[in-house]
Amino acid sequence: MRFIVVRLLRGLLTLWFAVTVTFFLVRLLPGDPVLAVADPGMTEELRAKLLADLGLDRPLGAQYADYLNRLLHGDLGVSFRQSVPVTTVLMERLPWTLLLAGSALLVTVGLGVPLGVLAATRARSLTDRVIQASGVTAQSLFVPSVGIFLLVVFGANLGWFPIGGAVDLDATGPAAWLSALHHLVLPCLTLALVQLGGYVLTMRATLVDALGADYVSLARAKGVRPRAVVWRHALRNALPPTAALAGLQLGTLVGGAVLTETIYAYPGVGRAVYEAVGRLDFPVLQGAFVLLAATVVVAGLLTDLACGLLDPRMRAS
Amino acid sequence: MRCGVLLAAGALVLMTACGAAPTTSGAPGVAKRGDRLTIGTTADVANLNPLVGNSRTDSWVTNLMYPHLMQMDAAGRRIPYLATDWAYAKDGRSATVRLRDDLTWSDGRPVTADDVVFSVNAVRKERFGVVAGLVTALDEARALSPTSLSFTFTRPDGTFLDNVGFWLPIVPKHVFEKAPSVQRFANDAAWVSAGPYRLTRVERGQRYVMERVESFGPGRPAVKEVVFRVYPDVNTQVLALRNGEIDLIANALPPATALALKGDPEISLVEVPSLGWAHLQYNTRREPLDDVRVRRALAHAVDYPAIREIALKGLASSARSSVLTPTQPDYADPGVHEYAHDPARARELLREAGVSGLSLDLIYDHADPKIARWAPMVRDSARKAGVTITLRGLERNTYMDRTHRRDFDVYAGSWAIMDNPPANLALAFRTGGFLNYAQVSDPALDRLIDQGGRALTREQARAPIRRAARIIHEQVYDNVLYVETLTVAHSARWTGFKPMPSELLSIVNPLSLAAVKPVS
Repeated sequence: MRFIVVRLLRGLLTLWFAVTVTFFLVRLLPGDPVLAVADPGMTEELRAKLLADLGLDRPLGAQYADYLNRLLHGDLGVSFRQSVPVTTVLMERLPWTLLLAGSALLVTVGLGVPLGVLAATRARSLTDRVIQASGVTAQSLFVPSVGIFLLVVFGANLGWFPIGGAVDLDATGPAAWLSALHHLVLPCLTLALVQLGGYVLTMRATLVDALGADYVSLARAKGVRPRAVVWRHALRNALPPTAALAGLQLGTLVGGAVLTETIYAYPGVGRAVYEAVGRLDFPVLQGAFVLLAATVVVAGLLTDLACGLLDPRMRAS
Repeated sequence: MRCGVLLAAGALVLMTACGAAPTTSGAPGVAKRGDRLTIGTTADVANLNPLVGNSRTDSWVTNLMYPHLMQMDAAGRRIPYLATDWAYAKDGRSATVRLRDDLTWSDGRPVTADDVVFSVNAVRKERFGVVAGLVTALDEARALSPTSLSFTFTRPDGTFLDNVGFWLPIVPKHVFEKAPSVQRFANDAAWVSAGPYRLTRVERGQRYVMERVESFGPGRPAVKEVVFRVYPDVNTQVLALRNGEIDLIANALPPATALALKGDPEISLVEVPSLGWAHLQYNTRREPLDDVRVRRALAHAVDYPAIREIALKGLASSARSSVLTPTQPDYADPGVHEYAHDPARARELLREAGVSGLSLDLIYDHADPKIARWAPMVRDSARKAGVTITLRGLERNTYMDRTHRRDFDVYAGSWAIMDNPPANLALAFRTGGFLNYAQVSDPALDRLIDQGGRALTREQARAPIRRAARIIHEQVYDNVLYVETLTVAHSARWTGFKPMPSELLSIVNPLSLAAVKPVS
């Protein structure tokens, strides 16, 4: 219980830190947010009125206190540019980002763990070398180059997948869900490919160590089947670093989703952030960062809990 | 793994809860070929309130929903739309406008002069959007009957009707007046519109679906449905056009992309003249740029043909170093000539001015691919004239901020649309004009610009505006580099587009989209 409470408090502290940094950071952006809605030749009097309308005329401390207060009541404010609640803006986009990031994580772990196990159990063989070389190569991949490559090959040339968007306009009912999956394949694959190397190499390294441990030798001596030695005994001890990596890479995954969403015209939060930066739409920027930070914190918390379940020593520490 | 499952599961639950689920209840069936025109754009609509939204996509979508008093022809002249005819009083202190009587809002109410008066007064009262700066001479707008109205001015203003007629979207008074602030009215649902198309569905980040208005007064559009699809990346957009996912790209193509698409039999390219220009402006309040000889030296230090041929790939024409470009045939001055690229003459002028070792900073928006290509060429050619230019490629908001604070030696940029020379010169070169980045303050120029602004016809305005433009040319208050030839691409399966100048109109203006049809 103490383990969960400590992790929860740590998560809340991280979230507060992210909210605070974001609040002050967006206000350091150069430019005048009032220009987004007003005539550049406006009088000082009108500018003052608009700043007051947007709540930007008060001291930063007061704005910050007000923002925290509203945040605690679930109010993320109103978009300067769109004049609609930030919650509405983000909730239209968040599911798509979660779907993309979640499915990419599933695919990455789903491929990364077995490949790491395969390499570790055939350490120093040709298979191991090929997997390791591929893992290192995958780590050097960059979202835009992979995205454009997949798009040109599988979208434009072969025509297997759509070029952009998240669902066909005419699809309804189950066909709409299938269409959403069809649109998800290339963006998901792009994100998975750039993340895969880290999982494969980590899994391999930790499992090679685990396979050399005394308890594994004992299990083998007792006649446990090789497959069971790997999957039941060694893997359980080798998994926590990979699980921790998943938590650490969630931030990268969300960051990668911003680029992926742009290339594949995917309607996620990343695109909303990109557009809000250009328009100096502070409330949307703050709201998006808070939401993404909260997602990463919650996922990190779940990762910690999963690690605790996998390895009781972590709970004790 | 658990995180992935949780995130994906969470996403599915949220999608259902937030209505973002990929179900399109009540959606029409699969559109027949020719019934739907799909247009690619690089950004979402920022604001569906047409009086506030000012991005290209905002304009493309809301222009199909809300009528304007006037449209523009290929030469920038105003042509009727909601207004059938208009005239100034002889003293230029008032004007009357007559409206067509066959436009109705989508809720069945007629579009009347009250709506026009309300729209003008809303932007004037709350001072927002581009139109606010164009109605400073307005004293009163008054509806005389449902189809006629009058404007009275505090001073003669011959630019008013052209400006308001083209730039002001007319909104339904009975809907917008209920909002406490028109500027803060989101207009994000239950749209009441009167254009050739009505907005039926918005999927932010993906698409905007519009259906034709069968009873549209000026004529029923040929295509049943227009869909704007959002592709933030221009390369993806081109792939989508080639694959048939979209039928046209609304944004002007980068020159290299336009050339790459030439010769593709499935794609037609349309060249659209720009109503703007690309330019360098020198801060006339800073030494030694306050000396006209130094500014002339800098003008002679630019290799204009090379910029047009290399950076713009030939998709640009000379403006003869004049702010009255060939796209405005009513105003263009054939007697003006482009500054010659002459480094020796530039050195001579600098010697005359007693300037040596001149070193200047040049600011530009580093995300603008065209300027990012020619800014180094400006630097390199200036070096031959003994001038050191340091390039400062800035993030857009920083660039805008420094421009508005007039914090630069040399400014590199471009105007997207300068459609009304008397009004535009006042904004950009009159003392205190809000686009007067070079901080020009020249009484003779001010007088000519004012004279042009008071003129009630183009013919009357031409002489003073040409004289003003000559002063701008001679004093190098603006160094115009080129007028871009904008290229837009559409599928060869469609025909009937009516191109209009500027990217804001191009082939996605309401009249063009109302006329387009599939190739039989």
